[in-house]
Amino acid sequence: MRNNTKEADGKGFPLRITAVEVRVVDNPDATNVGQREIDFVKNMLPVLDWPALVQAASQLGIPTLPPQLTEQLAQDPAFLQALYHILMNVHLVKGMLTCPASGREFPVTDGIVNMMLEEEECERVRV
Amino acid sequence: MDIPTETPASSSSSSDGKEERYLVLIEFAYRHLDFQIAEIESVLDMHGIQLGSPDCRVYPLPGQDETGRTTPASSNPELRRPYLILSFPAKDASKLSDNSNSVDRWGLVTRATNENASIAEILSRCTLVKTIVELWGASTSSLDTCAKECGEWIKNTKVGQSIFANVAGEQESWKLTVHTLGTKYTREEQAEMRDKFSYLGFQGPVQMKEPNHEYVLIREVEMDGKGSPLHPRHGIDKNVIPEHDKLPPLGLYFGRLLGGKSKKGRGGLEQYNLKNRVYLGPTSMDAELSFVMTNYGQVQKGSVVFDPFVGTGSILLSCALRGAYCMGSDIDIRVLKGRNKEETIWKNFDQYHLRRPELLRTDNAIYHRHFRRHQPLYDAIVCDPPYGIRAGARKTGSRKDTPRPILEEHRHDHIAQTKPYPVSDVMSDLLDVAARTLVMSGRLVYVIPSFHEFDPHTDLPRHECLKLVHSCYQPLQAELGRRIVVMKKIKDYDFSKRDHYMSNIWVNGTESAEKCANLRDKILEAAKQKPDYERKAAVRRQKRKVLKEEKKAAKKKKKKRLGEDNDEVEETQS
Repeated sequence: MRNNTKEADGKGFPLRITAVEVRVVDNPDATNVGQREIDFVKNMLPVLDWPALVQAASQLGIPTLPPQLTEQLAQDPAFLQALYHILMNVHLVKGMLTCPASGREFPVTDGIVNMMLEEEECERVRV
Repeated sequence: MDIPTETPASSSSSSDGKEERYLVLIEFAYRHLDFQIAEIESVLDMHGIQLGSPDCRVYPLPGQDETGRTTPASSNPELRRPYLILSFPAKDASKLSDNSNSVDRWGLVTRATNENASIAEILSRCTLVKTIVELWGASTSSLDTCAKECGEWIKNTKVGQSIFANVAGEQESWKLTVHTLGTKYTREEQAEMRDKFSYLGFQGPVQMKEPNHEYVLIREVEMDGKGSPLHPRHGIDKNVIPEHDKLPPLGLYFGRLLGGKSKKGRGGLEQYNLKNRVYLGPTSMDAELSFVMTNYGQVQKGSVVFDPFVGTGSILLSCALRGAYCMGSDIDIRVLKGRNKEETIWKNFDQYHLRRPELLRTDNAIYHRHFRRHQPLYDAIVCDPPYGIRAGARKTGSRKDTPRPILEEHRHDHIAQTKPYPVSDVMSDLLDVAARTLVMSGRLVYVIPSFHEFDPHTDLPRHECLKLVHSCYQPLQAELGRRIVVMKKIKDYDFSKRDHYMSNIWVNGTESAEKCANLRDKILEAAKQKPDYERKAAVRRQKRKVLKEEKKAAKKKKKKRLGEDNDEVEETQS
């Protein structure tokens, strides 16, 4: 599961995740995460909404993320490796994303999030 | 091609105090003629080399004047020649010519950070580049002049002296290949051509298999636009046509091979051919073109790429092969899910052992509602938007003006209606999303169909935050073609100015957009204008009818046979 699933529409953010099936890819290169992956995560850090990520991870059964992102952690290769693993190798296969504000639900099937809105909802957001 | 050409400094072998330049000849595959320069430019730019700057200029081909026109040997002044000579400062020669590193022939996953990349390594990424040659001498007139130029280059220039000293020693094995561009010469004739260069004095042994250095002699002739010589040397009866044989070549080039793709199988592209994919759709982009698009987008290892019209994922697949992290979305859940468990976008990626892309079903028209307002994220957006020729564009919304409210009990399995999505809005939404989400200097690459009335200067959509970099035309039929447009983000997106941005996308209003809309009808219309349309259409109709009836009959027969079989079974049982 990646950034996009956490990034939700307008007022309702972050989406609450109800996981039915989670697939963790045992990436063969999980142990030897290279400099490239670390660089990638570093570039991603400013884009991430940290509290939202912590919440999302715990809803997926990963309670190990620290509540605060400190400068020191952001430089720690071991931490960045672990973060890379969470960002890139944990996939939500089946479940539901729920908007905290309106309770609107978006189903996830076969690893694909369906973010489609109804016609009338659509007309509302367009204006 | 608006890159200024270098004024030919008398010749490459000048020693009259002028700055020495190091020349590299590039031979292109004879396809997508309009895409070649843009691809080279994008790839060089990734390595921090600006085409047209003193560090890398275009040097005129033999017989070309300053404007890049070929005179007078060719009857066609607008002739496109599949060659390009780049000129570099002589001080870079040793770095650029270094071909000791084994170059990945296909150059798929490269990173621009390697400062000491040789020209062969850099250009190995280019899909349309066939061979890269260190140019020693070139001429229009005769082999003798060409050979003489080479000799002078070796003797009179510092670059030539030092390179020749390195490659022509006793230890260095070599061979000389003759390229004649679809023109046949006998072994003896080729040997005669080779002999002209023997005076250069290579000391090492000749070795046909994997020599240390390979030299090439290229004889360029005028091509017909389809990949064969315009004036073939041999007729259909395999005899030499004397008047064609007498024609002078467009250019003769001699040099040392630095790199290139193998002749067979388009340099390894074959394995990525669409035919080998598990999952395909009617609008899948062919492998070669999507690789060209990844170069336009400067996609490299670690880039983040987004395709808002992912379809069967053909473009993202090429990006992933270049080492990018991919994200795709589409409004049509059917293509995302695939035909069945075995035929999905993900299986295509698994086939090449690539990281699966993130897929989500969203509507690009309301991107800003799906995604939280985030910092620029994507290094490139590469896509082929739907134009309604093969696949129509749709967005969520009711076809009626006042949509019927959905009852609460239906909410869960309600499937939102989609309605047609005018091309003008597809494009303006795309540009808006790109301007918001691309990182600075990130690139937007998209395909746009181009009918004969389409004027790229006024009809292409534009955005204040995006600068047009390239627009390359590929003719498909007489009147229809398509363009690949490349834009680069140059300015931060100001959310308060969104209305201003959106209203300035089309210079001539939506009229421009309409030029690429409803193309299906327009193509049909154009076809109707052609003489004999009625008759041909009737023939086609007849054919279809016959085919349909045949199918029907076959089905009937099969049913009947099945029925008989069953009868037999029953009989034996009784």
